Amino acid sequence: MGWFHRLFHKRLEDKRLDAELRFHLEERVRDYMASGLSPQEARRRANLAFGGLEQMKEDCREARFESHIEDFLRDFQYAFRSLAKDRRFALVAVFALALGIGATTVMFSVLYAAVVDPFPYRDFQHAVEFDLHNLAEPSNDIARYHYTIPEFLAIREQNHSLEDIVGNYQLDVLYSDGKGTRRFLGGYVTTNGFEFMGVPPLLGRYFSAGDGKPGTPFVFMMNYKLWQTEFGGDPKILGQTFFLNGKTRTLIGIMPQRFNGYGSSLWFPLDLSPGADGTVFPVHDANVMWALARLKKGVTRQAAGDDVDAILHRLAHDNPGELYPQRFKVVARSLVDFVVGDFSKTLYSALAAVFLLLLIACGNVANLLLARATIREREIAVRASLGAGRRRLVRQLLVESCLLAGAACFAGCLFAYFGLKGVVAIIPPGPIPEAIIGLNPAVLLFALGIAALTTLTCGLAPALHAVRGNLELRMFGSGKGAGGGFRHGKLRSCLVIAEVALSIVLLTGSGLMMRSFFALTHVELGFNPARMLYAWVSTAEHGPYETAVKKTLFYEQVLQRVKALPGVISATETISMPPLGGDGGEITILGKPASQHRSSGVDLCGEAYFQVLGLRLLRGRLLSETDIDSARRVAVVNEAFARAYFGSENPLGQKIKFNDFDQFPETPHDAYFEITGVVSDFKNRGLFHPPVPEAFLPHSITGFGDRNILAATSVDPKSLLPDVQREIWSVDPNAAITHSGSIQDFLTEFEYTQPQFGVIAITTFAGIGLALVLVGIFSVMAYTVALQTHAIGVRMALGAHRSDVVNMVLWQGMRLISAGIFIGVLASLVLTRFLASQLPGISATDPLTFGGVVLIFLTVGLVACFLPARRASQSDPLLALRYE
Amino acid sequence: MEQEKTEVLKGTLDMLILKVVAFGPIHGYAISQRIQQISNDFFQVPEGSLYPALHRLEDGGWLQAKWEETETGREAKFYSLTRKGRKRLSIEMVNWERFSEAVALILSTAE
Repeated sequence: MGWFHRLFHKRLEDKRLDAELRFHLEERVRDYMASGLSPQEARRRANLAFGGLEQMKEDCREARFESHIEDFLRDFQYAFRSLAKDRRFALVAVFALALGIGATTVMFSVLYAAVVDPFPYRDFQHAVEFDLHNLAEPSNDIARYHYTIPEFLAIREQNHSLEDIVGNYQLDVLYSDGKGTRRFLGGYVTTNGFEFMGVPPLLGRYFSAGDGKPGTPFVFMMNYKLWQTEFGGDPKILGQTFFLNGKTRTLIGIMPQRFNGYGSSLWFPLDLSPGADGTVFPVHDANVMWALARLKKGVTRQAAGDDVDAILHRLAHDNPGELYPQRFKVVARSLVDFVVGDFSKTLYSALAAVFLLLLIACGNVANLLLARATIREREIAVRASLGAGRRRLVRQLLVESCLLAGAACFAGCLFAYFGLKGVVAIIPPGPIPEAIIGLNPAVLLFALGIAALTTLTCGLAPALHAVRGNLELRMFGSGKGAGGGFRHGKLRSCLVIAEVALSIVLLTGSGLMMRSFFALTHVELGFNPARMLYAWVSTAEHGPYETAVKKTLFYEQVLQRVKALPGVISATETISMPPLGGDGGEITILGKPASQHRSSGVDLCGEAYFQVLGLRLLRGRLLSETDIDSARRVAVVNEAFARAYFGSENPLGQKIKFNDFDQFPETPHDAYFEITGVVSDFKNRGLFHPPVPEAFLPHSITGFGDRNILAATSVDPKSLLPDVQREIWSVDPNAAITHSGSIQDFLTEFEYTQPQFGVIAITTFAGIGLALVLVGIFSVMAYTVALQTHAIGVRMALGAHRSDVVNMVLWQGMRLISAGIFIGVLASLVLTRFLASQLPGISATDPLTFGGVVLIFLTVGLVACFLPARRASQSDPLLALRYE
Repeated sequence: MEQEKTEVLKGTLDMLILKVVAFGPIHGYAISQRIQQISNDFFQVPEGSLYPALHRLEDGGWLQAKWEETETGREAKFYSLTRKGRKRLSIEMVNWERFSEAVALILSTAE
């Protein structure tokens, strides 16, 4: 019971206290009487000794715990009443804070989903994969994170730091249901792969150690999405057989919706014993396996990386060759980093931006609270003189901001709930496929924490300020008093400067990202990506296209039909996808020392390639139809190639060899290609990387690999896709288009969405921040003008012009704003450096952006100051003076 | 003016109350009388300090209270020591002893 009981039985408790004290008094009276005093005298003396009964009662009550709660409730009641009286203030303050809290909550929940809880997997914090860095490259680029089966086996057997390791690789799976052939993205996964992830299957079972062994029945598993889209979520397909990549396989399990492990739609079991399904060529000696491992307890990522590094260095020592760069280092990277990667940087920047926004909102509310405190000086003075202590007054004022923050927190969570739907819509699909973005307990807790922080940030300074100095004195001089007003004025000025500075930082960040995004979407490609069709074609690898001649014939027929389609200007086949050129590899130039490291991209193309991509011929001649038809060993190189390896020499007639070709049975071994022409450079390593050396060979020299059909069109490429598919099927119904569209779509999906997300998020925050600052400056200036009504009246009575008054107020305001701009620009110069990695194509100190932001701010500031200034100049001096 | 008698040293009131209550259940008036008596009228506990202190000690769980009849047949609030209060009393007594010894030591040598 105790205090809790007493809290609700206050009347009874008061009666008891009264009885106790009265008893004391009576006893004393009796004692006095016993010592011979008259009853009246005894009572008088007793009362005198006793002192103030009510004060004593109050002291007794205060000694008890429940009195604190009572005080608190009373403070709340009081705060509520005083806020309800000033509804406009309360609404503005709650709205500003709710914007801040809501936006912060939204960004936090996205970040939480992406970084803290991106996967449904068991213990994924300890999951790592391994990157092999090429130390010979200047920037220590990652040479590969895929390994050969012997490498994988060596790592699995020889490591001391890994609890478990899964190997997997992806491949196209062609599915024939008798009516036609469709292509899905499949993957071979070692049989421990699903136990490793620890996500139970939705239906059926996952792989166990026996699956995939030579001689066992072929089985596979399917992900939820494929099950839904292709098979309508029919549970009866479990246990049925499917004809996949030329084999009959039984479906044994379907994974739940929130599982996207190994990035495939369907999975085959991978057993690594010799001759098992999935280990035969072309896989065995190619580096295709991605390894996912879990660290042993207590082992650091660094140690695991070193462990695997030692194993691979032993392998490299025993089998030197193309697989290993001259100097390399293996580093373990966390799975979260591998999957979420750079996107988390965007998210952290957005979260930082949103914190700035929250600070601006707090600054605004603090300013409003200060204004209120000034107006309420008299009230505070009265309360102080009636015995309220400073601590009590501060608590009172803090309860008020706490109430505001609480209301704002509630409204902010509502904002966040709806805001999240918008955010989910613009979030790039790539980095966090399995994250669930929403208002979970962690996020709500965060919002509450932010609200508490907000209370202190925006409430404490005004509260402490309000009770500074001699409180009682203010009863007389307050209200429009110059002294108090001046002191408040200083703090308010500081707040305005801070708000402006914060907003400048936000705006420059957002401006830089916008500029960078503009640069990104306007990179000169040499062709129009919106009028460029691509279609990757997959043909059954070991079927009718086993020789280069057969494959060439197939593509020749397809291309002829595609070229004949109305809307197609020209078409070619290739093995790359602009703005990414062909894969790079080491080359040898006949007659030049082999010790020197030289590399070049290789592209296999048809004669129309240069026309399609708009590459200009600089020297020699292009690939001709005869070159292609007779698979001549000739090559056209780009300018970067000629510059890098021949300088001022004439590259024409020189002979080059592509060392990687020696590795594959289907490519010409020990073959030198004669350079016949040089073409202009184009973007072949992404939008911002300068062009690297690249060579173009007739596609007919090999039947290796899938091909991409590129076509320059005069209409929207998407409208042509059904026709292209039809033409391909009319040549071979078993060939499937794997992915297709316009290059523009490809760029949008893989190059634009991520920066676009950052741009939209930060620009929204910057916009809101700017609006808040505008309101902030306006209210401060309006308030300052109101305080100076008297001074302005005197000036005007003494003959000042209206324009003088306007100038004076503008000058006051712009001084604050300029100070804010100055500090903000300095801070931005320091802070935008951290953004630099996310600003490709633009300098982090881009003068245009900085200039633009300052200009915007000067304009906004002028507008915000001008209205109060005009009002000041229009005041009637007589009226202004009469108020005194 | 009539306050020639020394007021209880700050911080020791709680200890004195606990000590007096330790003899058995006792009401507020009797506590003040007892302190005055035992100290040979040296200490006088003003009501304004006594009752808030009693309530604070009760709230803190060192004292418990019960309404009972006095010998004269009137209802009064009787305080008694809880186990927690007994513990605190013994601790405070030890501390006080050390404190007063130390003070005495300094005073006797400071000449």
